[in-house]
Amino acid sequence: MDKAFKTEELNSLSRRDFFKKTASVSAVAAAAILSPSSLFADDENIVHHTQWGTTLGNELNENPYGLPSKYEHNVVRRTSSLMSSAGDMHAAVSMTPLHELEGIITPNGLHFTRTHNGIAQIDPNKYRLMIHGLVEKPIVLTLEQLKRYPSESRIHFLECPSNGAGEWKGPQFNSLQFLKGMMSASEWSGVRLKTILDELGLKPTAKWMLAEGSDGSEMGRSVPVEKALDDAMIVWAQNGEALRPEQGYPVRLLLPGWEANLCVKWLKRLEFSDKPWYAKEETSKYTALMPSGKAIQHFYALEVNSVITSPCPEKPWSDLVGGELVEIEGLAWSGHGTITNVDISLDGGKNWVEAKLKGLVLPKSWTRFSYMHKYVKEPLLLQSRAVDDSKNVQPTVNQEKAIMGVEGVYHRNSICTWEVTLKGEVNNVQVRSI
Amino acid sequence: MFKLDLYKLITTSVALVLSSTLLYGGSDTSTLPGKYVSKMGAVDGGVTYPRKNGIYTAYRYNEQSTKGVNFGRLPTANELKAWDVDIMPDGTGLPDGEGSVSEGDELYEKQCSSCHGEFGAGGKGYPTLTGGNQEKLPNGVIKTLTNQRIEPGMEAPKRTIGTYWPKASTLIWYIRDAMPYAHPKSLSNNEIYAITAYLLAQDAIVIDGVEMDDEYVLNKEKLMKIKMPNENGFYPNIDGPNGVENVRKFFSDRAKNIGSGTRCMKDCKDLSTKGNEPTVMKIDNEITDVVPPYTTVRDLPPEIESKLESKAEKMYNDACKLCHGSDKMGAPVVGDIEAWNKVTQKGFEKVVHNAIDGMGGMPPKGGFENFTNSEVQMIVEFMINSSKKKQ
Repeated sequence: MDKAFKTEELNSLSRRDFFKKTASVSAVAAAAILSPSSLFADDENIVHHTQWGTTLGNELNENPYGLPSKYEHNVVRRTSSLMSSAGDMHAAVSMTPLHELEGIITPNGLHFTRTHNGIAQIDPNKYRLMIHGLVEKPIVLTLEQLKRYPSESRIHFLECPSNGAGEWKGPQFNSLQFLKGMMSASEWSGVRLKTILDELGLKPTAKWMLAEGSDGSEMGRSVPVEKALDDAMIVWAQNGEALRPEQGYPVRLLLPGWEANLCVKWLKRLEFSDKPWYAKEETSKYTALMPSGKAIQHFYALEVNSVITSPCPEKPWSDLVGGELVEIEGLAWSGHGTITNVDISLDGGKNWVEAKLKGLVLPKSWTRFSYMHKYVKEPLLLQSRAVDDSKNVQPTVNQEKAIMGVEGVYHRNSICTWEVTLKGEVNNVQVRSI
Repeated sequence: MFKLDLYKLITTSVALVLSSTLLYGGSDTSTLPGKYVSKMGAVDGGVTYPRKNGIYTAYRYNEQSTKGVNFGRLPTANELKAWDVDIMPDGTGLPDGEGSVSEGDELYEKQCSSCHGEFGAGGKGYPTLTGGNQEKLPNGVIKTLTNQRIEPGMEAPKRTIGTYWPKASTLIWYIRDAMPYAHPKSLSNNEIYAITAYLLAQDAIVIDGVEMDDEYVLNKEKLMKIKMPNENGFYPNIDGPNGVENVRKFFSDRAKNIGSGTRCMKDCKDLSTKGNEPTVMKIDNEITDVVPPYTTVRDLPPEIESKLESKAEKMYNDACKLCHGSDKMGAPVVGDIEAWNKVTQKGFEKVVHNAIDGMGGMPPKGGFENFTNSEVQMIVEFMINSSKKKQ
């Protein structure tokens, strides 16, 4: 290869980009795959021994719990003073880096976190759970006693109903992490609430359950008994280990598919009554103000939703040169049931093609979808649209806005749009009339 | 394991006919993983899935009887008394006690105003509690709650106690359990009645035909009589024997009540199509105030400085940062050299003295009365040292 050409190219492109470019645009290069080539500069990572291959590695139990590679230090939850009160991070929210996740499970340290009075630090030896009210036999349990109940494990997403709340009036953050990062998914382990209630004997007059946390905000919510007897769980583990303090250690309520706010953390008390409670978080907050001036209350399930995770603003296509076959990948989920279909649009919603679901397809869980795209260097408006087995179809921004208006704060599930520029950069935009 | 479960994965369309028949492997493309027997009509508008023959969607479950699994014990009367203290709109759980609007005014100034602003009017970054226009439309809806900020210049709907909260019981319950923010559960019953009275008075709430003046004393009986201005501003109706059914009915009609999409595949027309092109709204003012800053680089982390937190720093973080960490609170911000130059002009002794006795919106020792004077001095030193020009 001409040395002058090589130097000039490398000045403007990274070495890796250079190889990709050469490989994809050159017919000669394609042939080079078949036989050893003198066309490329040697990669020093291949022709020389590596540092880690020529030295003794670290001791195996250096980190008895285990830590990610040091090189992954930028894969973290992020927050913004906008998502707090006056920058105070005790009542705030931090977002999961969805652009860095694979599959349908969120590592525990990256689970999005919302607290109303800081992260309670509970001594498990002093933890107690009380279940009382309209039951034949009220009960108090220690953590050890609770964990004696037969356990079940379920994979479910948890989403704050404020996910994307900043975007009702238009796009705000140029980031997947901030557009949709108020959600995560885990395998949760604990006891099905019905297993305990069968033993305690729910009285026929019991219609509502109060779930109350033991943190400084004493977070409380009213839950219909029907949910408590269906798939509700009292969980003490996520992804095989104890809940993280951020997720309610040692015990939280899990109401699959419902507002994460209802899945009360640091759970202290379940009381059964014939009436709902009107707790602060189900009146002054977590109610969706509609254009009529009235608000929807007891807005439980998160609606069918989806977002393309690759590409995204954090993981653009600016390294592609055109001609590549590339995967469009994303997440779909619904609190109403199971994802059945996801469609992809490349032109802002005019035309759609069906994507393929991949991996485990579970109820009230993240579901991965994939669409193989022949990339041509041209602007695109990428969208995904999910459908579930409750006959929900994800709405466009306009369809959602026509009913919900723009002041509801909660339960925004309209279609997301990534603008892919000529250069392959990806921006958060919205296709909408006003 | 999952393969076995597949045998039970059958479509909703044939669910009634086939309960456990093997369908997998047929030509019907709807017999794919993830399609389960489901039943419409859940209270949230979604589906439920049966548990049958040890199979629940993709999961197996334990079919053995759990009857007789019995751990824990009955709570004692005192334990119930200690924890069963929630307050309901019908007055259940309301504590005994009383407090006047003027007592509440004094308490509010000390305990609440540093976050919620003068008279509950907000402005400090924490929730605005009072104010907003309660004027109603002929249909009984509070007019300002219909504001939609689609047009520029439109004011946001104000969701305050007076314009939004449906029940007064919520207010007194939340104040008792969760306030003041940094010292929840520290107020006496008389104090919570007083603060509640003060806040309701700011919103001109009328109780049983009586306006709340400074001398007005709120107690259990009076609180139960309160009708909040926006009491009827929420739906579906969750009260009464049909409450849960109202919720179910509401969420079963999602297309009408919360909006739904349509599965068009070709030449789809949305309201946002101008001619043949979609109208795209781009980010106007991008929010970039992100911590830590965005990056996807995979490199070695910067050298971590030995970050041994001093006792003073820890106490500052736990107790003082809430107000002194942000310029929104009106307190001199730690790290703001100019602001602290002004403070220290009074002389160190005086600054410590003010911190111990309280000044402006700051209660004595910032509300942490268990701190000793020398601890307060230590924290003040830390705050001053952290607000000097770096050498």
